[in-house]
Order: sequence, then structure tokens, then C-alpha cells
Amino acid sequence: MTTTDLIPAAPALEQAPPVRGSRRRRREVETDADRGILSRADRRAPRVRITTNGLHALMLVLLVLVGLVPLLWLLKSAVTPTQDTLTNPLGLFPHGFAWSNVVKAWNDVHIGDFFFNTIAMAAGEWAVQLLVATTGGFALSVLRPKYGKILSGLVLATLFVPAVVLLVPLYLTILHPPLIGHSLINTFWAVWLPAGASAFNVVLVMRFFDSLPREVFEAARTDGAGTFRLFWSVVLPMSKPIIGVVSVFAINAAWADFLWPNLVLTDIAVQPLSVRLPQIQSSTDLGVYLAALAIATLIPVVIFLIFQRTFLRGGGLGGAVKG
Amino acid sequence: MTVTQQRLAPSAPRAARKHNPITWVQRGGLTTLLFLLPLLIVFGVFSWSPIVQSVIMSFQKTNLVTAPVFVGWDNFVAVFNDPLFYTAIRNTGYFAVLALLFGYPIPLVAAVIMSEVKRMKGLYSVLAYLPVVIPPVVSVLLWKIFYDAGPDGVFNTILGAIGIPPQPWIQDAATAMPSLVLQATWAGAGSTIIIYLAALTGVAPELYDAAEVDGAGIGKKIWHVTLPQLRGILFITLILQIIATAQVFLQPFLFTSGGPVNSTTTILLLIYQYAFQNSLGGAYGEATALSLMLAVFLAILSIVYFRLTARWSDQ
Amino acid sequence: MKSSKKALAIAVAMAAGTAMLSGCSSSGASDDGGKVNIVVAPVLPGATADALKALSKRVKEFEKKNPDISVKAIEYQWTGTTFAAELAGGTLPDVFNVPFTDSKTLADNGQLADITSDFKKTATANKWNKTVLDVATGKDGKIYGVPWGPYAMALSYNRDIFTQAGLDPNKPPTTLDEIEQDAKVIAQKVPGVAGYMQMTSGNNGGWELSANTFALGGRMEKVGSDGTVTVTTDNQQTKQALAWLHKLRWDDNAMGKNFLWDWSGINQGFASGKIAMYMSGSDVIGSLMQANGFDQAKYGVTTFPVDASNSDAGILSGGNVDVVNVKDTAAQKAAAVKWIDFYRTQPSVDKTAAINNAKTLKAGDQAVNAPTLPVFDKATWEQNQQWIKPYANIPAANIKPFTDGIWDQKIVPEAPSHTQDLYAALDPVVQAVLTKRTVDVDAMLKAVDAKIQALIDADAK
Repeated sequence: MTTTDLIPAAPALEQAPPVRGSRRRRREVETDADRGILSRADRRAPRVRITTNGLHALMLVLLVLVGLVPLLWLLKSAVTPTQDTLTNPLGLFPHGFAWSNVVKAWNDVHIGDFFFNTIAMAAGEWAVQLLVATTGGFALSVLRPKYGKILSGLVLATLFVPAVVLLVPLYLTILHPPLIGHSLINTFWAVWLPAGASAFNVVLVMRFFDSLPREVFEAARTDGAGTFRLFWSVVLPMSKPIIGVVSVFAINAAWADFLWPNLVLTDIAVQPLSVRLPQIQSSTDLGVYLAALAIATLIPVVIFLIFQRTFLRGGGLGGAVKG
Repeated sequence: MTVTQQRLAPSAPRAARKHNPITWVQRGGLTTLLFLLPLLIVFGVFSWSPIVQSVIMSFQKTNLVTAPVFVGWDNFVAVFNDPLFYTAIRNTGYFAVLALLFGYPIPLVAAVIMSEVKRMKGLYSVLAYLPVVIPPVVSVLLWKIFYDAGPDGVFNTILGAIGIPPQPWIQDAATAMPSLVLQATWAGAGSTIIIYLAALTGVAPELYDAAEVDGAGIGKKIWHVTLPQLRGILFITLILQIIATAQVFLQPFLFTSGGPVNSTTTILLLIYQYAFQNSLGGAYGEATALSLMLAVFLAILSIVYFRLTARWSDQ
Repeated sequence: MKSSKKALAIAVAMAAGTAMLSGCSSSGASDDGGKVNIVVAPVLPGATADALKALSKRVKEFEKKNPDISVKAIEYQWTGTTFAAELAGGTLPDVFNVPFTDSKTLADNGQLADITSDFKKTATANKWNKTVLDVATGKDGKIYGVPWGPYAMALSYNRDIFTQAGLDPNKPPTTLDEIEQDAKVIAQKVPGVAGYMQMTSGNNGGWELSANTFALGGRMEKVGSDGTVTVTTDNQQTKQALAWLHKLRWDDNAMGKNFLWDWSGINQGFASGKIAMYMSGSDVIGSLMQANGFDQAKYGVTTFPVDASNSDAGILSGGNVDVVNVKDTAAQKAAAVKWIDFYRTQPSVDKTAAINNAKTLKAGDQAVNAPTLPVFDKATWEQNQQWIKPYANIPAANIKPFTDGIWDQKIVPEAPSHTQDLYAALDPVVQAVLTKRTVDVDAMLKAVDAKIQALIDADAK
């Protein structure tokens, strides 16, 4: 025990009242802003330390086995000859590599095309969602029209309606959209437009805008900014964080979307990966198929690894809500 | 005059102002409306209208080509008379319970353990979240390969290496649903872990200090401080998970198409089958009727749930 | 510019834009200054590059013969999500193909174009086998499509696996007992391979169970003299067939460990060597080569055993009908029928057409002589076989067991009413027998009877 142990490690926001007299009591009450369940004393105790380290090691092994190994198996099997994968799935290249799988996946299965479709789908959905959420959130939160409360209520209400209720009528709406003479089936609009009707995004953006200081708006107004200027040059630049969060949700959801695109994108030319991959399962050699799956996985995984922090900060909540 | 000046100017008699379209435009009413246009159009056409249409369609018989016919409660009666309806309820309930059993406590335990990691914290989170990042369709298709029931299937080979006989996985009604739950849990646990981790870091350290003053060991600290502090987020994730699992579609559809012997036919799959399975045109009325029934059920469940948990939280 | 003025300007611009947008309507294929455009859908999704090349060659040939018609060929699959949606949305191709199972229902529902007049103009209009043409004829006696590629159910087998198991690939099984024996041998001698398998999902379980039933002399639906249909899945032959499957699966252990097979899945299972024998359409080699790239040298096909002692026993038949979009213009319908005649019918009757078609198929590594049933009569069929013989790429010996034996089998058409629903309801019964050791087959079949009968009775109201 050195004297430094008697000094609180970091300035805590709320100091526990110093206890006069007993040095021991003061040590136990020191507030470490960094601490969780385990206190410093806990960590020092050999039994706790061994158990904790053991648990963490076990956890790490489990996470690698459960989280990483399936992915690695996919990557390995993507370049393994089909026969080897069928007869010896856990083997490591008993007969060498089969790069032809990847080549075939790209050339014959045209994975690149479907990948491009997925990107086009995601980009459009992202744009529509951002447009609806920012303009709508701005109007409801900043401009605050008299009918605003009713409108927000209506938007919020849709949060409680499960998506399946919309399935058939939305399908019919896409078949016979109002004003436009022809069906939107097999166009990306069939996927872009309905994606915008996300109450979750609007609520997120509204709450964010609500938290922005009103004085900035007043100041801008006094400087002569019209409403459009206010939106474009004042509010939007301040909203980068929420735009980031909404973007992550939107792109995540678009990438994962299956049921709806499966219904409305039946023309192979516009199908994204999520729709095409199940369809070609029965007509594609296993090795080539695994290569296609691997390519379809690699991009989101790489993007995730690069933008880890954004995902892990906001993505978790999105995942739970979307189920 | 600028907008601000207009606002601060002495007001004209209220009556005249209210119904004058010109002043409405001048005061920015039109601008607001324009800003709301994307929201109004998108929500109107693709959300509110379909919801209303859904209710209407559940009382009609539609064949997409000729005009719909009003049939009263027939669709609902047809659903209640369908033996598959009760199978679907049972299966969906089974899935939800299994998913909760595995998918609710495990992420919590994992998060608690992970929250105390000091070195390489990020690595743990990344590994946990990796299955979530894999597109769900790819994940299911991959696991379908894992689940090959022959002795050379991936999982059966692993089991064989530790002396367990090959399992039928999705080929047997008894093991099919648990197999689906296993994959669903694998794919989803990561995001729940991240949520819990975030919530755990929000627990005020002083509470732990206070507990230690009272002589609490690690177990007691978790029970009396961590869990109660997490109560809010735990309640929310529970109901969210129930609502999500009640609508499971992807796994039954891609893994087993509802089989074997309808043991994995869930409510969502049944709705899909009503509407889209028959190549000659579907029973859209019954599909919307069933989806409405599900929506009402989930709404009631949520209300009851929030009333109950509100009472608990207040204690 | 002041905010509100800007708003007004935008509003006006949007109103104008919307007016223009609503005026814009697309027409799918349409007449386009002299040339008639039609969209045809002759191949399944996932067709190999070779198949698509062969197709495009045929399209060019047709366009050369008919310079006033422009043809676009697409991949297409007949399912609930594609057909109903495209019908309602008006985006159906001009020519697409539906199975025998559905053609009459569609015709009677008014969902197909009446092509009687254009059909009568074709050279072969009067040569058609009445039973075959009946499938494309509506209740009103009008023609709604052109049948092609009729087939009978058969037993496809992998000659290589037979050899590996010590069986003679030129002597495939001829009775149900022999199938059982051979399957047992294969399961023992060739590990990891299912000796025999049938389809069990995607409505195909019920379809193949019907074939089993017909082959033993039973029927799934009985049509009374007054036209009323009674569902009779709960019959002795169906139970016998299910018992046979049960024995193969549980006692003989000859069906492997995977039991969820739909049409494309089982084809792939066979093509990848996981299944040695399976009940398939007699012409499935075409699809095996087109979508699965299967090596036809390994392919063998024989007749599926039919109970010779029962006069009602016969082999289930099926086929395809090329139909025309009901929304097409008269010019498009004429063009469509010309295409169908060129692509499907001519190769059966016209020597040059047959040889051209055979050459193209062979160059594209597609099946030239997949076993089908006659569209016209046996003589025409045999003549056709002679013409394409030089180009045949499936060894004649491989398909001989089928082509020799099929003439002795009575052809039985599919159950007439709510067929898809019937098949869908029977899928779980087949799955149950294969995945549960103890199954109350009687109860399950009775439940199917009740369910489908209710649908049929509801129609009559």
C-alpha cells in the first residue's frame, strides 16, 4: 500500500465525503469514475483476479469460436473445391485452393451486378429516409405549425403498427400507385419510397432538433435568414451526429431487407443480393455459392470494421428495434 | 418585411388573419407545408393509407383484377377455422419462448462479464457484433449449409469429433424450431450485448461504492445495484424482443418453408402463404385479417406490459 | 428571395411537375412504328450461360424469318408472387409458360388471351392429340395456349452411382420392390448417398404422392357423372405408397438424412451426386443440363413402376403450356403465336426446324433428346426422333428404359380441382412419414380431404 492509494485516482463528479480518521474506510470509499462492478480492491484480490481473468479468457475464446470462426469457415470454403467442402468440411485445403469459385461467382453468377443493385437500393433508401426525416423533423420541431401535434401523433402511431399489417396493401399500392399510371414493381422506387415512412427516424431527428438551442435559430432569423436558409445553413450542419445515426440505421436496414424486395423485385435485373442469393442456391455449385455468400458478407464486414465506433454507438439500439 | 418582423408586428384582428390564405403564406405557412411535403406524401401513401386499406381489405375478397367484394367477417372466420392458424400460434409462441430463454439472459451475462474487461475492450465488442453485421439472408443460407443432416454436414462433423451422433437439425419436427432459434439468437445476440454494455457504463459508480460500504460482495453488487439500474433497459429489450420474435419470417421461410410437417410455420409465414403462395392468386382478405389480429394482439400485449412494468418501476 | 415567395414558387413548380408525371404512363411491350415487340419468357432463372446463348440464337433465327417482329427473351419463374402481381400490375411478359396444372383454371378465369384464331392459322392446328390440346382449352371451347413438352413421371437415376454400388446401370429397377432393393444396396455400398428420394415441399410432395397413388391404381379426386368432384386422398393406394416410403426411410435407411426437397432442390441434390434415384418428370434432364450443368453421360431414366395387375393404374403426366398475356393487342397476339409455333411446335413436325433446333441446342450443351411424350401422335414423334438422332447428345442407351417402356403405360392426367391447394395440403403428410417414425396417416389424409373438399364446395356456391 503506497501513499498514492490514499489519493482518489481521478476527480470524481461527486466526491464521497472524506471520512476523518480511518485510513481504511477512506480507501474503500474512493470514487473511481472508471469503475464498474468490480472495485480496485476487488481487482487486487487474487481470487477475484483469477476468476475475472479466467472468465474474460473464456469469453474471448467463446466469442472467437462463435463470432469469428463461422465467418472464417465461410471464407475458407469459398476457395475450397466443392468436393472437399462436402466430404471434409472442417479440413484445411486438403487438395489445394479453388480460386475458380470466386471467379465463377463473379462472372457466371454475376455477383457484382447484384451487389451493385444492393448498393443502389441502399443509397436510394438512405436518401429518401434522410429527406423525409430531416424536412419533417425540421418542420415539426423547429417551425412548429399549429397542426404539428396531430401530425407527430399520427407519425408516432405508426411505430406501434407491425410492418406485416402493411404488407398486402402496400403491395397493392405499389401495383397501382396514385397519380402515376403504371406499377412500380421491379423499379427501385418500390423499395425506396416505402422506406421513407420510418417513424423511428422522424422521432430520432425530432428529438435531436428539440435539443438544439433555440437561441441559434432566433439569432439566424434576426440576421435575416429565411426558413430555407435556416434549414440548410444552420440546422443541417448542426445535425451531423443524428444524420450519422440515421444513416447507419438506414443502410443497415436496407442491406438486411428481404421480405419486401423479394415481393416487389421479381425481375432478376434489379434484384439485390438478399433476394438473389436464395434463388440461385439450387442451381449453383456449392463452392461457387459459398464464394458468392463470402463476397456478399465481406463488404458489410469490412465497412463495419472501418466504421466500428459509429456502429457500436448507435447501431446496437437499431438492431434491437428492427428485430 | 422579414418574417421575424412580421411576427413581432402588431397583429391584425384575429378573425381576419385566421382565414386569409395570403397572410398564411406570408407567415410561412406554405413554407412549413412544403417542408412537410416529403413526410406527408411518403407517410400518406406508404404508411397511413395502407394501414387503413388493411383494415378495409380484411373485410373484403380481392383477386387483384376485378373490384373487391365486401364479405363481412368471413375472412376472420376462415382464419379461425384454419387448423394451420392454431399451429402457427403454437409455433410462434414456441419460437418466442425459446428465443427469450436463450437470447435474453445470455447477452446480459456476456455484457456483465465484458463490462469488466480492461484490456482490448474493443475487440470483445467487435467479435460480439460480427454476426449482426453479416446480412441476415447470408447468415441463414450459411447456417442452412451448416445444418446438413448427413454425417458430413458441418455441425454433424463437429459433433462427431466429440462423440455425439449426427443430429437431424431442420429435418425433424422436434429439432427444427430449436435449430431456427439457435441461428436467430446467434445473429441477434450481439446487438443486445452492445445495448446492455452501453447501459452498464451508465450505472453510477457511487452506487457500487455505497454497496461496498454496506459490505456487498460481487454477487450482491450485481443483484442489488447492476440489475435494478438496468431495469429500464431490460424491460424495454424484453418487450421489443417479444414483438420482434412474434413476427419472425426469414428463418422459417428460408430454412424450412414452414416444414417439416408445418412445425416451423409461424404467423408471418402463414400470412405470406395466404397472400402469395398460390400461383393463381392469393387470399388477400385472410392475409390482412390475420395481420390485423396479430397487430391488435401485440398492441394489447404492449399496453398490459407497460402498465405492469410501470407499477414495478414505481415501487 | 423571401422565404414565403420561394415557397410559393416551389409549390407551383411541383404542381406542374405532378401533372406531367401523372400523364406519363408506360406501356410494356407495344407496337413501335411498324415492328411488333413481344417479350417472351422461355427459360428459368439461373439458366446457364450456354442455355442463354442457345436461346439468343433461336431468337435471332426467328427475327430473321419475321422481320416485323422484335423479340426480347427473359428468364422467368411461375410462382404466386410473380404471376398474380404481374397480372395485376400489367407487367406480365407477352409469352410465358404455365404448367398443365394451372392452364385450364387460368383460362376459365379470363386471365389468358384467347388465341383460337391465330392458333388455327398454324400449320399443325389439326394434328394435335386431343387430350394434350384439351389442357389449353377453356370451358368455352376456345384455345388459350399452346402445349409443349408433355412428360410422364419417371425414375431418374445416376448411372455412375449404380456402377459404384455394383448395380448394372442398364438394368434399372422395374418394380417398387426392386427400387427398394437397389436403394438399400446403394445406401450400404456408397456412403453419404441417398438410394432413393422424392420431392416433399413446395407443393411437389403432394404432386409426387399423387404419382405414387396413380401408379398403384388409386385416385386423389373422383369426378362424378354430374361433374361434382370428391376428394379421396384417404384411399388404400395412397396409404400403400406412404407405407412404402416409410419402409424405405425407417427400416431400410435408404433415403439419407435430409428430407426437405422441392423441385429445384432435388434436381440439385441429384446433380451433385447426393441422391442416386428419384421420381422426376421424364424430361428433367433438360433442366439438369440447363440449370445444374449435369453431365448427361451419367444420366439414366426408366419408367416409374406401375401396377400391371390394376387396370386403373397409370403414370401421372404433366407438361407446359405457352400462353399469351390477356392484355396484348391483336398484332402482339399474332406475333406471340408465331413465336410459340416457331420455338415450341415446329421442331416437332418440321424437319428443318427440328434439325436447326437440335443443332442450336447441341452447340449450347442443352438437352437435344430429352424424353417427352408425343404432342401429336406416336408416328410424328418417332419421325422427329429420327431427324434429331444425329445431334442427340443424351446417349440413347441411357434413356432407352424409359422410351421403350412408356408406351405400355396408361397416361393419367392430374387431379382436376384445386390441384395446387391439394398438393400443398399433402406436402406435410409426406414430410411426416419421412421424419416421424409413428404417424397417424389416416387422420392426416382425412384432414386433407376435409380441407380441400371445403374449397371445392365453396366454389360451387
